[in-house]
Amino acid sequence: MKKIAVFGYNRLSFEAVSRLDPEHHQVLVIDHNPVQTALAAENGFATATLDFRSDEELRSIGIGRDIDILFCFFDDDFENVFLTLSARALDKDLIIIAIVDSPESAGKLLAAGANKIIDPYEICARKIHDILKRPHISDVFDHTVFGRHDLHLAEIVIPENSYLENTEVGKLELGTQYNLILIGIVNKQLGQQLRFVADESDRRLCAGDILVILGPSREIRAFKNDVENEFCSL
Amino acid sequence: MLSKLIVYAAYYLKSSATYIRSKRMLTNLLVNPDSPQKKYFDATMIGLIVLSIFFLLYHVEHQASTMGGYFEQLILLIFILEYLLRGWIHSDSYKIIVEEYEKALYLNLAFKPLLAARRILSKELEYMTSAFAIIDVLAILPSYRPLGILQVFIIFRLFKLFRYSNSTKLFADVLASKRFELTTLLIFTCFLTFIASVSIYMFEFPAADGDIKSLFDAFYWTIVTLATVGYGDIVPHTIGGRWVAVILILTSIGVLSFFTSILIAAFSEKMLSLRETRIYAELKGYQNFILICGFGRVGQEIAHHLSREQQQFVIIDRTQAHVELAKRLGYLAIHADASKNEVLLNAGIARSVSAVLCITGDDVVNVYVTLTSRHLNKDVRIISRANRHDNVNKLYQAGADHVIRPFEVAGMLAAEFVGQPVAFEAISGILQNQTEVTMESVLISEHSPLDNQRIDQLVLKANKLTLLGVISDNPIHHKHKNKFQVKQQHFYFNPEGKFVLRHGDMLVLLGRKYGIDHFRDQVEQQRLLQRKPA
Repeated sequence: MKKIAVFGYNRLSFEAVSRLDPEHHQVLVIDHNPVQTALAAENGFATATLDFRSDEELRSIGIGRDIDILFCFFDDDFENVFLTLSARALDKDLIIIAIVDSPESAGKLLAAGANKIIDPYEICARKIHDILKRPHISDVFDHTVFGRHDLHLAEIVIPENSYLENTEVGKLELGTQYNLILIGIVNKQLGQQLRFVADESDRRLCAGDILVILGPSREIRAFKNDVENEFCSL
Repeated sequence: MLSKLIVYAAYYLKSSATYIRSKRMLTNLLVNPDSPQKKYFDATMIGLIVLSIFFLLYHVEHQASTMGGYFEQLILLIFILEYLLRGWIHSDSYKIIVEEYEKALYLNLAFKPLLAARRILSKELEYMTSAFAIIDVLAILPSYRPLGILQVFIIFRLFKLFRYSNSTKLFADVLASKRFELTTLLIFTCFLTFIASVSIYMFEFPAADGDIKSLFDAFYWTIVTLATVGYGDIVPHTIGGRWVAVILILTSIGVLSFFTSILIAAFSEKMLSLRETRIYAELKGYQNFILICGFGRVGQEIAHHLSREQQQFVIIDRTQAHVELAKRLGYLAIHADASKNEVLLNAGIARSVSAVLCITGDDVVNVYVTLTSRHLNKDVRIISRANRHDNVNKLYQAGADHVIRPFEVAGMLAAEFVGQPVAFEAISGILQNQTEVTMESVLISEHSPLDNQRIDQLVLKANKLTLLGVISDNPIHHKHKNKFQVKQQHFYFNPEGKFVLRHGDMLVLLGRKYGIDHFRDQVEQQRLLQRKPA
């Protein structure tokens, strides 16, 4: 169970929070405007009204203690920068996701300590560009991975002593055994960069690698079970 | 009998494809301002006129040469031909005859050829009395050597130059737009000239050593002084005359500056619309360009992507600041309201626009522009932005092909990032072309060697490609599992080795850009090789 604090209640935070799986995430919506918090409460979210400028109040909701993830979704960039800065000072390991309105604020937010910057306009533009240039691919993804159909992306960490250790990537054959497609691998020792599967077919897997796979959720669960089961073998 | 023959001839011409085609060709060549042929024709004519004027001037000073004579005759021939052809395409005589005949037939009257002839004649007279046609005739005249006086008409041959360029029309338009101010000024100048001429005449004529010998001298002096030219050939000698000069000079400075300011104002007003016309003219040369309505943050990002790919596009925005920004960035931008039919039509929505993007921050505007675009072009792709969730359906109803919700997309990205940061970064990286690895679709055409091939026969490993699935609307594949409905088609995820491809199917491949390109090239080469023996 992860605890998420969402600062700023607006269309974007509403979309983001609605998409989070309530079984795994505990969400708290925070705004300094009581009207907004009332609105959020109406939509069934746990809310709190507080002034983000005071560290005391930030601590009071659990930042620095038990909050895992922070969304800075205020409309104004300077508010997000301030919040990011305050929160980073309180907790070194907090995951901070911030939205950015004007592109030049992105650098400032990263400097303030945000882990991930989201520029809604840029994403929207890329999306439109994609529809223009690659309509089929964009359609497929909209309807499957991002849509209602049961096709999902997942990342699976290879545990210690798994049967997958020392297996060559090219010999995995997830497509025939599990109806899954392996997209890429992240090797902890080689940095966070994702390696695409076609470039890495002769690499041997080791514990701690993350496999990024695409497939129906049932197959993903089955594969995950097998990977975590020490006694399973090829 | 004769009238029957005329009617028959008219109907024959009406049905003759050659006649109609040649007439259309000539119209394009001579009058249609949008046709490319007219440009070349105009340039040629300007060249000929300039040459002919050189020859004529040469004749004024030198003995006539035979070569020059032939050339002059050739030019004359071209001018006469042009004059006649313009007269021909100005009216459709056969249409008038047919019309008159049918009218007579309908009313059960006898067909009167004279009536038709009169209408035809009046139409031709209309052409002959038009300003340009008169100039054309006058331009032909100087070639007629026996009448020396006609050499003066060389000037008209110069006027003919104006016919072939738009600058005269522009100048006339500018003057016409300031008709009121110019008339006021003209009347004032007339009074001033009259008063000044009469007063200088009264002072200077009686003076013994005066330069002014007649009223025309006085008028000439007034104009020369008024225009601040002041040759100095006539100067006032009396005190009274000098006072007239002083007052006239002071007033004329005012008159001239007023005149200049009117012209400048008129031109700067005209320049704005002229620049717009220039953009429209440039758009006419474009094929398959994209119309971006709204140059906010989203519009700017898209324009950036498109310009990097050298895809042609034009921006329409109501906000002056946005248009200026677009122009600074070197994009083609029109400052106009995209919800107006006229604006979209001028931009070429019915002609060569391949996609319309309605991406302003205001949903009301987006819906309206979407509706207008769909109304003007049934087939164009329309991608619209919905800022509020409840407007998505309205946009689809208005005719949008795709509706994008920026906040939803961004919110989804944030939510997914929380769950699976690595996987999500990967897929968004691929989808947004941020990595070297990309995802592309490869269409299997009708004679492609991949047609009727099994999936396990594809050369994917060697090209380091991963097949994600197949997009197809072919019902033959329905029995396969992992079928996902995507619009009118199906996406077959992770197809089995025995999946047989059909033409019209699309492979969705993941790999490096050059790997996918290489795969495409291979398929194409195989197709060409296969064809040869057949």
